[in-house]
Amino acid sequence: MTLETVGIWCAALLTLMLYSYVFVDNVFFKFAEHAYIGTAAAYGMVLQIDNQIRPTINVKLLQNGQWILLIPMFLGFMIYARYFKSINYLARYTVAFMVGVGAGVVISRDFKSLFINQLADTMRPLTGPGGLENLIVLVGVATTLTYFFFTLEHKGAIGYSARIGRFTMMVALGAAFGNTVMARVSLFLGRVQFLMGDWLGILP
Amino acid sequence: MNALLNIDRRVIYVLMIVVCVFALLNPMGLPISINETTQMCYDELMKLQPGDIMYMGYEFSAGGVPELVPAIKSAAKIAFERGARIVSGSMWLEGQGLGGAALEEIANMLGKQYGTDYVQVGYRPGGQMFLELGVADFWEAATGMDQDGTPLSQLPLMADFKVLQDAKVIFIFCTGTPGERQYIGTVGDRFGTPILESCVSVSVPETMPFIRSGQLAGLLMGMRGAAEFEILAGIPGSAVAGMDAQSLSHLLIIVFIGLGNLAYLFGGRKGGRV
Repeated sequence: MTLETVGIWCAALLTLMLYSYVFVDNVFFKFAEHAYIGTAAAYGMVLQIDNQIRPTINVKLLQNGQWILLIPMFLGFMIYARYFKSINYLARYTVAFMVGVGAGVVISRDFKSLFINQLADTMRPLTGPGGLENLIVLVGVATTLTYFFFTLEHKGAIGYSARIGRFTMMVALGAAFGNTVMARVSLFLGRVQFLMGDWLGILP
Repeated sequence: MNALLNIDRRVIYVLMIVVCVFALLNPMGLPISINETTQMCYDELMKLQPGDIMYMGYEFSAGGVPELVPAIKSAAKIAFERGARIVSGSMWLEGQGLGGAALEEIANMLGKQYGTDYVQVGYRPGGQMFLELGVADFWEAATGMDQDGTPLSQLPLMADFKVLQDAKVIFIFCTGTPGERQYIGTVGDRFGTPILESCVSVSVPETMPFIRSGQLAGLLMGMRGAAEFEILAGIPGSAVAGMDAQSLSHLLIIVFIGLGNLAYLFGGRKGGRV
């Protein structure tokens, strides 16, 4: 029995253990669930050390002498100060630094690409090829925004617009639900293909 | 009608299993037409010239395997056949192993040489920060080595790949964040590098606006998109094989939804106003 065969058998049995939950909660499901969490955590830790921490220390710090990296390292260690009551406030500086840098990067990049560019794309010519599609998008966006406009009571024109917005959202949710079903079926099919193909070898 | 409303969910699961197994054992070969966004991906890859570099980002976890791995294989095959080279990386932990194995399979199939024709830098943490550094100095972002610890200076291909925008095209395979939004904001919109994406079905509605705005140059939509791409690449595999089962299981779900609504309408139950 090769190592690959052992791997396939392990994967197949763990798959069946996990799917057994569909019919009834049981000890096999619990075992597979805990095994998955443990394995994923260990895999993640090893990869973080191997791919990032070790080369950073060995190459960047010790070989190349990039001593400036000691600053983020020190900031990183400060996060563990939260375990010591007398100095737990130090952890906040690290969090504050991360929030500040994260917000700066995200705002500088995302504001243009995810907001301005998307907003500009909403306002396209309503005549000519694609005019109807552009109109639907424009009406959908405008009415949906009206639905979340709470400064005025949803009566009269605002009320009608909000109502159209609600229907727009319902259509969007329907599309999202349909795609979610497709994604879940794909997941299941992947496992069935594995069980019937790699494990049992009965697929044509 | 009440019996229909109170049907045991396990009955539905069993029916679903039966339908999927039946369809997989008895392939019907239902026709698969090529979607416009899939064709856009293919056309973009066909623009690759010998020596060009495609960057592949495996931004997914195990849940994306059935829908994304077939797309990785197809994209790699098309790119290699065009004479292009591939550099791959991942901001997701599991992406390195799952995506990397798929690229390795195609590279071995086509006799491609590691280091010359393709390089895998593997998982690098940081999300958007990794990309920010990657557009300034990709070697630095990858800590100067590939996933096996080989210095990038020893891999000939990397001499032509110093920053992310050195890629002629970027193909990402996503199940969530970090994903297309980070690539679009950091690389696509800033440097004009075309970004292609293969996403899981559940992400399609929120990704489509990027196709409309031109921020994505092509999109493979879930397993269906992967199946279409397998056909275009000439390697019909697990995604094509799964489409019959996908279609039949959807039919079953539609029947259930119809029956459920009928039972709800005629079963005397009163629902609240939506």
